[in-house]
Amino acid sequence: MSDGGPGYYDYPVVKRPVWTWEVPAYFWLGGMAAGAYLTASLAQNFGSAEDRRGAAGGYYVAAAALVPCAPLLIADLGRPDRFHHMLRIFKPLSPMNLGAWTLTSFTPIAFARAASHASSTGLLRGPLGLLARLVPTRLADLAGVVLGLTLAGYSGVLLAATNIPLWAKSKLLGGVFMASAMASGSAAVTLQAARRSVPDATLHRLAMVESAASAGEMAILTGYLVQSGKTAHPLTTGRFSVPFWLGAVGAGTLLPLLLHRVARRRQGRTLRTLSSAAALCTICGSLALRWSIFEAGKVSSEDQRASFDLARG
Amino acid sequence: MIEGYKRLMNIEEPLAPKTAKGFFTDTSLCIGCKACEVACKQWNQLPADGFAMTGNSYDNTGSLGATTWRHVQFIEQAKANGNGQEQRWLMMSDVCKHCANAACLEACPTGALVRTEYGTVYVQQDICNGCGFCVPACPFGVIDRTPKQGHFEAGTAHKCTLCYDRLKDDMTPACAKSCPTASIQFGDIDELRSRARRRLGELRARGESKARLYGMPEGQEAAEVGPLHAFFLLLDEPERYNLPEVPRLPRKTMAERYAWSAAVGVGFALVGALLFGGRR
Repeated sequence: MSDGGPGYYDYPVVKRPVWTWEVPAYFWLGGMAAGAYLTASLAQNFGSAEDRRGAAGGYYVAAAALVPCAPLLIADLGRPDRFHHMLRIFKPLSPMNLGAWTLTSFTPIAFARAASHASSTGLLRGPLGLLARLVPTRLADLAGVVLGLTLAGYSGVLLAATNIPLWAKSKLLGGVFMASAMASGSAAVTLQAARRSVPDATLHRLAMVESAASAGEMAILTGYLVQSGKTAHPLTTGRFSVPFWLGAVGAGTLLPLLLHRVARRRQGRTLRTLSSAAALCTICGSLALRWSIFEAGKVSSEDQRASFDLARG
Repeated sequence: MIEGYKRLMNIEEPLAPKTAKGFFTDTSLCIGCKACEVACKQWNQLPADGFAMTGNSYDNTGSLGATTWRHVQFIEQAKANGNGQEQRWLMMSDVCKHCANAACLEACPTGALVRTEYGTVYVQQDICNGCGFCVPACPFGVIDRTPKQGHFEAGTAHKCTLCYDRLKDDMTPACAKSCPTASIQFGDIDELRSRARRRLGELRARGESKARLYGMPEGQEAAEVGPLHAFFLLLDEPERYNLPEVPRLPRKTMAERYAWSAAVGVGFALVGALLFGGRR
């Protein structure tokens, strides 16, 4: 008898997403690339000479993190041989289409900017180095920041632009992913800076930038959980609660905030060790956040009551 | 150059609209024979889904999917109607709703999902690259992607085509053609709607107090996804048939979601600029 539940036996109302691990991995790397590019550009245009030198490695981080992005996206397609159909039309109404165009345009800009920086430090010589010197850096910074913010910002909106209760109930998932991208991107810049001879003052500033993103992430994540209410249970209580609470929230956000706080009055080796540890935690936490929300969404898709609840508004 | 690009990417001009076609599924006439499921599988050459028993009444199909485009539900109710009867058995042949504002079509990044000249929603199999975005976008859980390996159009999205190929030849879709009780009626959408209103009046007069239409332009369920080209006459609340009260169209809240995302990004950029610039 079907009189037990509100719906048709216990069949889900919506389909389970068919995406696999490539998608959260891509969101994580793409977000980190965007955050690193933005941090490097901010230092380049607003920072001191030491800040500029210390953070410029962010351009390399961005280019490197973008390398696996397109292959991951293509691997997740049902028909990878038709990946170019993504660029068959321009349809920003579809976040998937917007994302494909954004990745396609951000990747060459990030590479050109990294090459331009490499030529300015003498790392890239010869004809390629001469060519890289032609890149208009200010324009590349501006275009890269706009495209990078789009890349970091659309992923959460893409998941939310579905009928999966956990992803769609709150309107803040896009903001959560954006904050996480900024935190992991600035953390990657901190990490590379801590491994080079960068002045302590620059490391302190990078730590503050990263902490600002982490604090913002905590705030908007709290809003997301409050708005989601019971719908968030697959994330907060189920088998993904450990990667979420311990990984994304504890080790990925609160611990780095604490470590950077401790490192504020330290110098030299201690500062470098603490900053590196905090940055690594933030980067791993960002992956844990994407992965746990992504996988918990699949569980959420099977919850008939949550679907009805979502449709009732 | 544009012409070459269009040829390379298989871009064609949309055909001129014709009279809108659709299904009116009158569940009060359904006897649960599953002829629609069989006729659909046969005409569209869809593979079998196995012989698993669900234990849920006579429903061993379970749900719509990539290779199941009609699905007959069997709802056993102990005492759920206001008609004084002790128990009843509701049957309903579910199908893609061919929404006027289709979430799958809006989500599709390749343009594989199109609106046909008959006003129906159709997946172009030579365009779809299996990105899978339409799957969680559909508020009814209709469209699905086939596995990457297999015999049937592997790795692309599939759902009811409203027998687009048969429509092209002025033929009735296979399910409607095979339905022995006229529970599934095919025709011009305007005519189907007036027929549905008449039928609802009849049933109400006979005491079916919970009878209602689902998917009409005036219904609350059309608030976001618009009127359905495949609409239903139900004998109980929509949720009893696993149909959401107000199916959501993701586009409706997308701007707000982007705004939050942008606010966080711009906020971070400003704070970062201040932190770097403050000590210049």
